[in-house]
Amino acid sequence: METLKDKILSSYVAFENNMNINSAVHDIRSKALENFEKLGFPTKKLEAWKYTSLNSLLKNDYSLFPDRGRSIELADVKKYFIHDIDTYKVVFIDGKYSSFLSETTHDNFDVCLMSSALTKPKYKAIIENYFNKAAKQDNLTSLNTAFASEGAYIYIPKNIEVQKPIQIINFTTGSEAATMIQPRNLIVVEDNAHVQIIERHQSLTTNEVLSNVVTEVFAARNATIDYYKIQNDELNASLVDNTYIKQETNSEVAVHTFSFGGNITRNNLNFFQNGEHINSILKGITIIEGKQHVDHHTLVHHIEPNCESHQDYKGIFNERSTGVFNGKVVVEKEAQKTNAYQQNNNVLISDKATINAKPQLEIFADDVRCSHGCTIGQLDDDALFYMQQRGISEKQGRGLLMFAFANTVLESVRIPEVKSRITKLIANKLNVNIGFEV
Amino acid sequence: MLKIQNLHAEIEEKAILKGLNLSVNAGEVHAIMGPNGAGKSTLANIIAGKEEYEVTQGSIELNNEDLNELAPEERAHAGVFLSFQYPVEIPGVSVTNFIKTAINETRKAKGLEDMPAKDMLKKIREKSELLEIDRKFLSRSLNEGFSGGEKKRNEIFQMAMLEPKLAILDETDSGLDIDALKVVANGVNKLKSKDNAVILITHYQRLLDYIVPDYVHVLHDGKIVKTGDASLAKELEAKGYDWIKKELV
Amino acid sequence: MSKYTEDDLKEELKTKEYEYGFYTAIESEKFAKGLNEDVVRAISKKKNEPEWMTEWRLEAFKIWSKMEEPEWANVKYPKPNFQDIAYYSAPKKKPKLNSLDEVDPELLATFERLGISLEEQKKLANVAVDVVMDSVSVATTFKETLAEKGIIFMPISEAIEKHPDLVKKYIGSVVPPSDNFYAALNSAVFSDGSFCYIPKGVKCPMELSTYFRINEGGTGQFERTLVVADESSYVSYLEGCTAPQRDENQLHAAVVELIALDDAEIKYSTVQNWFPGNAEGKGGVFNFVTKRGLCETNAKISWTQVETGSAVTWKYPSCILKGNYSVGEFYSIAVTNNFQQADTGTKMIHLGKNTKSTIISKGISAGQSQNSYRGLVQVNSRAENSRNFSQCDSLLMGNACGAHTFPYIESKNKSAQIEHEATTSKIGEDQLFYCNQRGIDTEKAIALIVNGFSKEVLNKLPMEFAVEAQKLLEISLEGSVG
Repeated sequence: METLKDKILSSYVAFENNMNINSAVHDIRSKALENFEKLGFPTKKLEAWKYTSLNSLLKNDYSLFPDRGRSIELADVKKYFIHDIDTYKVVFIDGKYSSFLSETTHDNFDVCLMSSALTKPKYKAIIENYFNKAAKQDNLTSLNTAFASEGAYIYIPKNIEVQKPIQIINFTTGSEAATMIQPRNLIVVEDNAHVQIIERHQSLTTNEVLSNVVTEVFAARNATIDYYKIQNDELNASLVDNTYIKQETNSEVAVHTFSFGGNITRNNLNFFQNGEHINSILKGITIIEGKQHVDHHTLVHHIEPNCESHQDYKGIFNERSTGVFNGKVVVEKEAQKTNAYQQNNNVLISDKATINAKPQLEIFADDVRCSHGCTIGQLDDDALFYMQQRGISEKQGRGLLMFAFANTVLESVRIPEVKSRITKLIANKLNVNIGFEV
Repeated sequence: MLKIQNLHAEIEEKAILKGLNLSVNAGEVHAIMGPNGAGKSTLANIIAGKEEYEVTQGSIELNNEDLNELAPEERAHAGVFLSFQYPVEIPGVSVTNFIKTAINETRKAKGLEDMPAKDMLKKIREKSELLEIDRKFLSRSLNEGFSGGEKKRNEIFQMAMLEPKLAILDETDSGLDIDALKVVANGVNKLKSKDNAVILITHYQRLLDYIVPDYVHVLHDGKIVKTGDASLAKELEAKGYDWIKKELV
Repeated sequence: MSKYTEDDLKEELKTKEYEYGFYTAIESEKFAKGLNEDVVRAISKKKNEPEWMTEWRLEAFKIWSKMEEPEWANVKYPKPNFQDIAYYSAPKKKPKLNSLDEVDPELLATFERLGISLEEQKKLANVAVDVVMDSVSVATTFKETLAEKGIIFMPISEAIEKHPDLVKKYIGSVVPPSDNFYAALNSAVFSDGSFCYIPKGVKCPMELSTYFRINEGGTGQFERTLVVADESSYVSYLEGCTAPQRDENQLHAAVVELIALDDAEIKYSTVQNWFPGNAEGKGGVFNFVTKRGLCETNAKISWTQVETGSAVTWKYPSCILKGNYSVGEFYSIAVTNNFQQADTGTKMIHLGKNTKSTIISKGISAGQSQNSYRGLVQVNSRAENSRNFSQCDSLLMGNACGAHTFPYIESKNKSAQIEHEATTSKIGEDQLFYCNQRGIDTEKAIALIVNGFSKEVLNKLPMEFAVEAQKLLEISLEGSVG
């Protein structure tokens, strides 16, 4: 039987038909394909994949280049947008750009498409400097790079503060029984510039989907980036989200990941600090049930002195769900005066749920403050009793406690509409009546 | 006992002391007062030998011995004690173990045997009573989780144990409530003798109500600009430091 | 109280090199190098072992031949050539001794130099000692006192002969030969070690102790320790290790199995000071050890270790908390200096209900060394109300070393509570100045601060071991701050 890997490799010729194969970008793609051919899909034998198996997904007969299926009406998908504020939108349907649903711009800065950026001469210099420069050459990133042709391209020049958030949304329509897409995003934010991004992957049917996304983010000096990932997909949709963030001196990048939906979700979130006085913020809330699986793999690489990183991940696991947190902090010899904090707190609410945590520190500098804390436990019985005594039902009390437990992560969300959307999602997920808008 | 002549010192090439002169005899209590940033704590740290400060000119002598040449622990062995403004925490090292080590290291430097355990315990008992220190406190890790008052009391306890010739108390009154201040002052007064000397570094006059100084010096811009008796402190309290600054112009 | 004084310490500090690096000129009988079935048979035959033991070894050898050396630990070293090691080295004048008087005086002198002379221990600490030099037990003291209580404490080779049922029942029951590469190798070629059995309800009246020493060049040491504490019994077991200074790397691959039956308690303490290699990173012992204990209902196993030696350490004393209400503890200090590498930690496997484990790990890295904590806390789905608390603290000295923590936490039970904390710090300039100001010089101040840092673990050691451990900490960190 032809494996998925074989199928992917043999489809490459067809893919190349639509690409300019005499380009620097395509050389990168071809090299990545070779790399993927060598490495293949990750197996549980790899330390990084010890707790997450993709085997159940690799059995599917994915359509690799889905034709654009039925067109979708805005009314059908409106609920997936943060629609109560004005935003730029870069929207894809089955991996193809949807100009109808999008709202892009080229005024002062670019919010547009990778397919343009990769081919038009105007973007050549940026692509040469940044494309595939932060991404690690691991198995799934190589796979994405080999087929990298479409996604969001965002370029913010010096001193520009983008006033509206940018939404990047990938819809899959389920026009095929199983769909695999390889979205590729590039975000470059120059000196003193600022941008807010919201990313979402959404399947519109219950057909199988596997999204293997690579996003590269570059934050130049004094740049600030706020990035929100909303993962609330259908239960047959799986996601491997590979994000690589390279930061320069004085920049601050915060990534919040909210994982509520999906089948198997694997987040590879990597920060490389390439300057001094950098701040990296990684936060996440995971609330899952059924047979869902969410794996957060974070890496913060402290390379230069006087930088900070703050990680705070909360997880609530019900039924047969499994959670993984693997947080790695590396502090290089030169990175003196680093402050690196990592917190991971988990609650299991079912006997069948599992959590695997591996908070990991690798320290090579002596004058640093690094700490990690990891807890796995239950809700506070005393607090529950207190609430019951005040007339709150046990069920509602539990919900409120979990809500409070997860909510601390929301404090640092800087877009009020995102905050209230997530708050509602959490309340909904936990069956809590929060009673009023927060 | 202590003789400082024309002392110039800097940190990271910034001059802090600019020609300071000070002479302290045995049996005397000197208070050094001055506005924030005058160089009071710098002076204390330089006498104790903190490395970050560079002495660029002048001399510090203790009983005719040049301190500038000595490592901090050698100065301690010579009888210099600094009660720190912010005493550090050393986790896992008990107060007793720490002071025992300090005493025996000092004895070793003088070619003496370790103090017998019996004598050590007796001394610890005496001095802890003097400073109204709970015995349980002595088995706690050094300064770890101590309140501000406990830290300062612990400093004075160590001073009592080490019996220095010259004790420099750097802002020992800060962070103390009135009761703790009395206990600390009472301890210092009892330890005072004709053979030792005390330098009090303070911003306020409050402490000087309980430990009466023989001399009061005003430190301003790296120099001692005025010297008087205890009444000078009162005058400063009433008029503020601006008065001195104006007088200088 | 101990007799160890400041002056002793001063003396100690004068010698910068590995002070136990001497070579006892006792004649050895050494097997030719290399490993095959015949060598395994020969080892077994040499020791007059029964058929079942020979078969057990051969089976282990078969398993080992198919295994590959593990690569996952955070250590780098030239792989030992397993065909280039002599698998048996016994002192030739194989003494059969009943009292210390009969022990080779040269050997006694050796132990005196180690500061743990048998005489001393016997008199002061009431310790029964089994000495494993190279691979063979030389003397077990205090045999009669123990025999009165029904306690069996003897070389494992002797136990195989005298108590075959006990050995057969328990050997390999906690660490099966197939467990890992080194455990398999050990099972095939182990030459000696200690066996200890505490009968039901007996509290062992003294600390039992084994002292290991690799003496002969080019030999591997593969000792096997088996401790069985029957129901409601108690034993405290000490293990000390040294090796002489040699240029080539020596291999040490031991297996320790502990079995604590219902309501029993075993306390196992190790002070490991194998030769760490010289300041340039040459030589030193490769220490690849498998240590594991099994707790039945309400039983408790406590591992305490002070690891200052070895060029490469690979060691995870573990507890399988099988019985309900059983308790596992792991207290560890690992010091690395110069070019040492240590990858050490523990595994706490919670199977029974209401099981509890505590992990306190203190890593101190200096020089150009790499110090890793690797641990696993696993709570299985039936382990209701299990508790774990882990704390891993690292202290870095200088800027050429590394500290790493790799804790794996796996929970499948909702009522389990697991807490893990880790911190990394250094000795502050302000701490040193504070000590200096009170008359304590920098070297002494570092020793004081390191001891403070390690205190929670040092406190768990029996008194006479704690003193030695403190001394070792100071010696191994000597000259680490310039």
